[in-house]
Amino acid sequence: MSKFMFVVPPFFGHISPTLSVGGSLLAKGHEVIWVGLKELAAEHIPAGGRFIVPHAELAEYQPAIQTILRMQDDGPNLSGVETLKLALEGTYIPFARYMLPGVSRIADEFRPDVIVSDCITFAGAICAHLKDIPCVTTTPVPPDVTGDAMQSPKIFEWQHNLIRNLQYELGVYTDEYVIHSREMNMVFTSAEFAGSKDPLPHLKFVGPVKGRPNNTPFDWDRLSRATSPKVFVSLGTLLVDIRKEFFQKLIDAFAGEPLTIVAATDPAIFPEWPDNFIVQGFVPQSQLMPEMNAVICHGGFNTVNDAFLNGLPMLITPIAYDHFHTASLIENAGCGIKLRYKRLRVPDLKTAMWEVLNNPKYKQAAQHIRNTFIQAGGNDKAVELLETFAQERTRTLSV
Amino acid sequence: MDAITTKHKLSNEEIFTILKSFITEVIGEEFVEDMDISRESSFARDLEMDSIEIVSFSEKVKSHFGENIDFTGWLSSMDLDQLINLKLDDIINYIETCQSSK
Repeated sequence: MSKFMFVVPPFFGHISPTLSVGGSLLAKGHEVIWVGLKELAAEHIPAGGRFIVPHAELAEYQPAIQTILRMQDDGPNLSGVETLKLALEGTYIPFARYMLPGVSRIADEFRPDVIVSDCITFAGAICAHLKDIPCVTTTPVPPDVTGDAMQSPKIFEWQHNLIRNLQYELGVYTDEYVIHSREMNMVFTSAEFAGSKDPLPHLKFVGPVKGRPNNTPFDWDRLSRATSPKVFVSLGTLLVDIRKEFFQKLIDAFAGEPLTIVAATDPAIFPEWPDNFIVQGFVPQSQLMPEMNAVICHGGFNTVNDAFLNGLPMLITPIAYDHFHTASLIENAGCGIKLRYKRLRVPDLKTAMWEVLNNPKYKQAAQHIRNTFIQAGGNDKAVELLETFAQERTRTLSV
Repeated sequence: MDAITTKHKLSNEEIFTILKSFITEVIGEEFVEDMDISRESSFARDLEMDSIEIVSFSEKVKSHFGENIDFTGWLSSMDLDQLINLKLDDIINYIETCQSSK
């Protein structure tokens, strides 16, 4: 049996797939811990696992961490270049600095066979490099393989200098990047969907991994009485500030249309909703999906993956961060239509929705992506890869 | 056809007016209404142009002011903070400089 130590950022979208894979590793008898920056509700942690926040080492950085976490809410107001700056310079780099001492101490105590570090928590991979522990990177979002049209040589240089200086500061004296594993990078989507035609051999596309059961009650009777096409709408867990504006546009577009909209949002944002809207704050999303005909979302990968696993076409309204990239991938794969949120017109929303519902090509393309996701292997494949990696590396180290 | 109009050099104010109309065409009248475009408008944050819109804006600039105005090339020579702080006024001045160097 092997010991796995996951190192994760304080963003649930990044933590979630590691909980799923970690749960499967635990079920096979391995030892698994997580190291994070912020406590995680106990209900999310798989039985037998431990989620450790190194409070002692983080204490002096708490005010800075809180400031950084608050800055993430500003995402929808930032331009692409500002988002890039906030992400790398304002978030990932300082997080690496704050996390490394605690991650190092816990690695010394736990003595993992493998450190599994999320792609934006550089501290895990840097610790693995410094202590010569085998390392795997996990990547929840399809990596942006093409780069942005706005990228300039000076931006590459900026990026390179930030990473190299961080590595030097933390005692890694090489110009090679060690913030990501060169041995294995596990990506939770399919190579085809990521648009990765000829992926590097260390990139392992395992597809989405299973979510955890969610038994939230739902008005299934009301849903079963609905006869019109059903569309699920979610903005995910972030983006609280623009919720009201977003759903107002949906109401303007779809009130009274022959559609049933199932919206996952706090109903209290409006005194009343149109009759064809079923609204609930928390919903059993994966149980609802098989009943739907299409999905409207902003491009957060949790909802996108759920939609694909049910072969549903999508209308995507990217708002911030990596949504734009995910939305482009969905559109390129022919699985839906992308309407940028900042330029969302109500008539366009209506036209796009009916096109997605009535033209079978979107559903067919989404079903094809579903097949590539299933073939990628999911939890079983992820566990197999990690087990083999741990065994091979342990053997190498002991000879 | 558009390029013929550049035979005479345009004033700074004329360039501003033309760029405002390009921005309106690229991002749509209904969104421009709320924006109050000025010389101080920041390209990324106030106008909220994404890369597709920037490319289409750049093509309009080229076909109107002449092929020697390499707007996207000029942008890609900038560093992150220059891109973040880029104002419409900087673009007007850039086009004016390109005209006088012809």
